[in-house]
Amino acid sequence: MKKTILVLAALLATPTFADTIEMKVYGLVCGFCAQGIDKTLRKNPATADVLVSLEHQLVAVTTREGQDIPDVELTRALTDSGYDVKGITRTQRSLAEIRGSIKEAKR
Amino acid sequence: MNLIQSALAGIALACACAMATAKPIAFSHGTTVMAEYGAGTMTEAQVFYAPKYFLSLGGGYLQLESDIDHRRREITYARLNYLVKRWNMEAAQANVFAWGGAGQAYVSETNTHEFAWNAGAQVDYETRRVYASLRTDLHHSNAFEHRIDTLQLGLAPYEHDFDSLATWFVVQGRQINGGIHDGTEWSLLLRLFKRGAWIEAGATTDGKLQAMFMANF
Repeated sequence: MKKTILVLAALLATPTFADTIEMKVYGLVCGFCAQGIDKTLRKNPATADVLVSLEHQLVAVTTREGQDIPDVELTRALTDSGYDVKGITRTQRSLAEIRGSIKEAKR
Repeated sequence: MNLIQSALAGIALACACAMATAKPIAFSHGTTVMAEYGAGTMTEAQVFYAPKYFLSLGGGYLQLESDIDHRRREITYARLNYLVKRWNMEAAQANVFAWGGAGQAYVSETNTHEFAWNAGAQVDYETRRVYASLRTDLHHSNAFEHRIDTLQLGLAPYEHDFDSLATWFVVQGRQINGGIHDGTEWSLLLRLFKRGAWIEAGATTDGKLQAMFMANF
């Protein structure tokens, strides 16, 4: 019984969110756009790192361990920066992996 | 065909493909510092802070010096910039900005200082390879009225990304009326920017220097 409780507690303690949030964003055409988004997202205390790819219209955020940023908050941050969010997906890809696949796609 | 008509034709052409243009509002909570030297007839410096992505406030200094009769204006102003409309597309962006302000102008002919107001607008469209912008800026006082119309068409030899250097070749046409310059002043410019820093330099068809620096932070 004790074991069952411990397993259940461990399962409940496992975060239901992924570490990386990838957003498809329209209107990303220059470094200044990216700079504004990067600056805004890094202000969020749950943000660990940010990646902006103009080529892929992608904004990716990794969150700090045990923390999440709700979709509505991300959408508001991007909209308040002047851009349109077209989709949000949560993945297990690290930013290093995303950077790698972007580099790979350029070759 | 005047510069405005040429510009509209140019923008229509550019829209067939698409800009990295200086905007009066860079991003929300961002500060923009700009300085421009325009072929001896126009020198301008501006500082703006944007509390919102669609609004910025600040001020500037504009010096106009006639290459016809050497009359000079030194205009110091406070200004509000407003993003009227933005279109975010998958790989492009288009904007309409408007601004207005007021300040004081030194008038060389009378050696006096006058109250002056200004108003203007900018339409731009950009992708990572092509851009077009048309800007008009009106400065008025009881002693003068000058309108500065600027058309820019730019082409990037490659598509830059956030961490890479952006390179643009830009053709600029400018008219400054009210006895400052006769006709259209054409320039060819090389523009480089990376993250928040932007520098461009080139020459007019008369061989005069045209340069600009901008920083966003």
